[in-house]
Amino acid sequence: MTRTIRIARESVRMMGRNKFRVFIMMLGIAVGVASLTLMMCVSKGAYERVMDTVNRQGPDLLQIRPGTDIQTGLPSGSREVVSLIEEDVSAILQHVGNIRAAAPVKDRKEIEVIYEDKFTLTRIFGVIPVWAQIRDFGPREGEFISEEDISFAARMCLIGQTVKKNLFGDLEPIGRTIRINNVPFTIKGELQWKGISSAGRDRDNRIVIPITTYTRRLFRDMHLTQIVITVEDTKKLNKTIKDVRTVLRDQHKITSGEPDDFAMRTPQDLIDLAYGTSRSLINLLTGIAAVSLLVAGIVIMNVMLASIAARKSEIGIRRAVGARKNDILKQFLIEGLIVSLFGGLMGMFLGMGGSVILSSLDVTASKITPLAIAAAILTCGLIAVVFGIFPAKKAANQNPIDTLKV
Amino acid sequence: MIKANKIEKTYSKTAILTPVLNDITLSIQKGEYVAIMGTSGSGKSTLMYILGCLDKPTKGELELDGVDVYGMDDDALSALRNKKIGFVFQQFFLLERTTALDNVLLPLIYANKYPDDALQRGRKVLAQVGLEDRVEYLANELSGGQQQRVAIARALINDPDVIFADEPTGNLDSQSTAEILDILGHLHQEGRTIIIVTHDRTVANHAQRILELKDGRIAEIKNP
Ligand SMILES: Nc1ncnc2c1ncn2[C@@H]1O[C@H](COP(=O)(O)OP(=O)(O)O)[C@@H](O)[C@H]1O
Ligand SMILES: [Mg+2]
Repeated sequence: MTRTIRIARESVRMMGRNKFRVFIMMLGIAVGVASLTLMMCVSKGAYERVMDTVNRQGPDLLQIRPGTDIQTGLPSGSREVVSLIEEDVSAILQHVGNIRAAAPVKDRKEIEVIYEDKFTLTRIFGVIPVWAQIRDFGPREGEFISEEDISFAARMCLIGQTVKKNLFGDLEPIGRTIRINNVPFTIKGELQWKGISSAGRDRDNRIVIPITTYTRRLFRDMHLTQIVITVEDTKKLNKTIKDVRTVLRDQHKITSGEPDDFAMRTPQDLIDLAYGTSRSLINLLTGIAAVSLLVAGIVIMNVMLASIAARKSEIGIRRAVGARKNDILKQFLIEGLIVSLFGGLMGMFLGMGGSVILSSLDVTASKITPLAIAAAILTCGLIAVVFGIFPAKKAANQNPIDTLKV
Repeated sequence: MIKANKIEKTYSKTAILTPVLNDITLSIQKGEYVAIMGTSGSGKSTLMYILGCLDKPTKGELELDGVDVYGMDDDALSALRNKKIGFVFQQFFLLERTTALDNVLLPLIYANKYPDDALQRGRKVLAQVGLEDRVEYLANELSGGQQQRVAIARALINDPDVIFADEPTGNLDSQSTAEILDILGHLHQEGRTIIIVTHDRTVANHAQRILELKDGRIAEIKNP
């Protein structure tokens, strides 16, 4: 048995003699580590949700919509605002650098679509071919809208997976004719499956048609509901955003001092939007974690200091029978480490439990990660050392003759 | 065995430095049984701690078994105490809620090498002080006299050259006092060096030699 092992056994033995004190210290650590773990889990969950959204929407995507909601700075989407037109797209392509592609979009919600005796309400998008690349929303089956379709204002369409399910069930839809707002269209493809957007919208409940057909044969809307742009280099995103804004203000003849009549949604906006409630929860939890870790540390330190005062003669007798200062230091440090290890484990499981509860109650996204676990363990080790070392040093450096007085 | 030359000890607790020990010169041979007497506060414990390498003198030379102790660092002194010195205190200073055996084995934890026969050794020294039937008793389950006997067994576990006992009977009734003095007498007969500190003449009379500490000096050396 090496000396250190013997000393560790002494630590354990002395802890066994003082279970209540040990319990209090462990509790302190547990609370701190629990909130730390929970904080890590929640921020990881939130982060993944955000990155998922951003990656789905594209980190290089700019969306421009007419009108501005003053409150949120987000597009109002209000149909009354008529500000974006197709010329804006050409102006952007002509005057702004770093643009990979730009596309005008027109859309309307809740449009009646009929196939034989089946009926559904869906959203109709008028687009150009490059839209599929910009939104990463190509065909799963069949062909996407071609330049020819645009030139001829062809009555061709692609349907989303929800529309397919609603109108066709198991039938093969390509080649069949549906009536959109009573105008017959031939289905030339199925869109990829996309799922629910971060805003909770079903992205598969849509039909895509050529923008020219949309304007000439369905609705007489002259204005755009969106312009979508992808940039070449995302590092220059901020400059591109500024340039686009300048060009649009110029196009719309907005004098300085007047607000924009359009709004841009950038990847950063998506991040902000997706973080939503999680961010304030993370801040709260971070605060709680910091405070409770500090409290845990102070609890440990004080309990240790008190116990050292109470254990004066124990330390003295150990020194008298041959313990070195270093042996005493080790004994108390090991005690601190064990306390924080077990307190830390307790706290970690509490925190993970909290994480499971939070995400199952849908309060926020929360995910248990190895990183959270590692951070929890590391932190409590650190606390044990930082807050344990001072009392341990104090214990070790006492003059043995002072500890052996009545 | 122990040679002290012109030892001085001053506590610098307050601004006024009062020398507790002043020019102590003494020599104790191997196998001697020596009592250090003096009134309360005369510095007996201070002297004993210095001789026992628990504390350092402010000035002077100290030799233990031919080795100069004054220049040693703290770790070396700890090792020395562990190997060569056994202490017995007035307040027993056992670990509470710990068995007699574990108390006795405590010094072995800090030994260079933990002996394989630790348990046998622990039992043996406990038998030596007449506690073979109290091995697994907790310290707080023992009487004062028994606790002090455990403390003596603990002092014996590393087979030390010297045993220092600071008022070992100060907290005991006359019956237990007699038992403890008996044990110390036996240990002396076995050839151990014993230094006992006491203010009690009748206790001191058990020793071969009495040193009296007065005004910080060894004032009187008597053979009873
Ligand atoms: N750590 C200390 N600091 C200051 N003074 C001390 C300290 N220890 C002992 N003294 C003083 O030294 C003197 C001798 O103490 P001590 O050796 O314990 O005497 P004794 O054991 O003979 O009763 C006393 O006056 C005491 O107050
Ligand atoms: Mg004394």
